[in-house]
Amino acid sequence: MIEYVFMITAVLGAILSLMQRDLLKAAILTGIPGASLAFLYQYLQAPDVALTQAIVGSAIVPVFFALAVLRTRRVEE
Amino acid sequence: MIMDTQLASLLTAGALIIIGIFGALFLDNLIKKVIALAFIGDGANLFLIAMGYKVGGIVYIYLPGMSMSTFSQNASYPLPFALVLTSIVIGASTMAVMLGIIIVLNKKYGSISASKILGDN
Repeated sequence: MIEYVFMITAVLGAILSLMQRDLLKAAILTGIPGASLAFLYQYLQAPDVALTQAIVGSAIVPVFFALAVLRTRRVEE
Repeated sequence: MIMDTQLASLLTAGALIIIGIFGALFLDNLIKKVIALAFIGDGANLFLIAMGYKVGGIVYIYLPGMSMSTFSQNASYPLPFALVLTSIVIGASTMAVMLGIIIVLNKKYGSISASKILGDN
C-alpha cells in the first residue's frame, strides 16, 4: 500500500520541480523524485539499485544542480 | 486493489517520461531542460526495474538454508537490475557534463535562456 504513495510523490515532485521560478528551489525539489524512486526500487525487489539511487538521486544530483545554479544565475528570466 | 504494483509502476514510469519530454520541449531555461532530461532517465530506469519485478517473488540473493529450486522459481530476474545500476551512474555523469556546458554557455553569452542564446524570440 505504501508504494502507491511513493509513485504519487515521485510524479508530483517532478511536476513541482519543473514549475518553480527560483532555480535553487527547483534543484532542491529534484531530490524528492529521487528519494521516492529509491524507496520504490526497494519495494520492487531491487535493493542494490535502491542503494545507488538513494545516494545518486537524492544527494549528488541536487548538489550538481545547485552548483550549476550557483555558477550561473538563480532566477529564471 | 484496482491495479497491481507492476502496472502502477509502469504507469509511473510513463508519467515521468511524458513530464520529461514536455519539460525538455517547452521550457526555456537550460537548467530546467537538464532537469527534465534527468526525469526521462529516471522513467526509463523505473520501466526496466518494473519489467524485471516478479509478483510474490523474493530478492535475488542466495541465502544459506534456501533450496536451489525454490530460489530459481521465486527470485526476480536480476540482469536488468545489474545494468540499471550502471545506467544510474552514467546518467548522473552525463548530466554533470551537460551542466558544465551550460556554465560555459553562460560565461560566453551571459544568459541561460535558450531563446536568447539562439537569438529567435
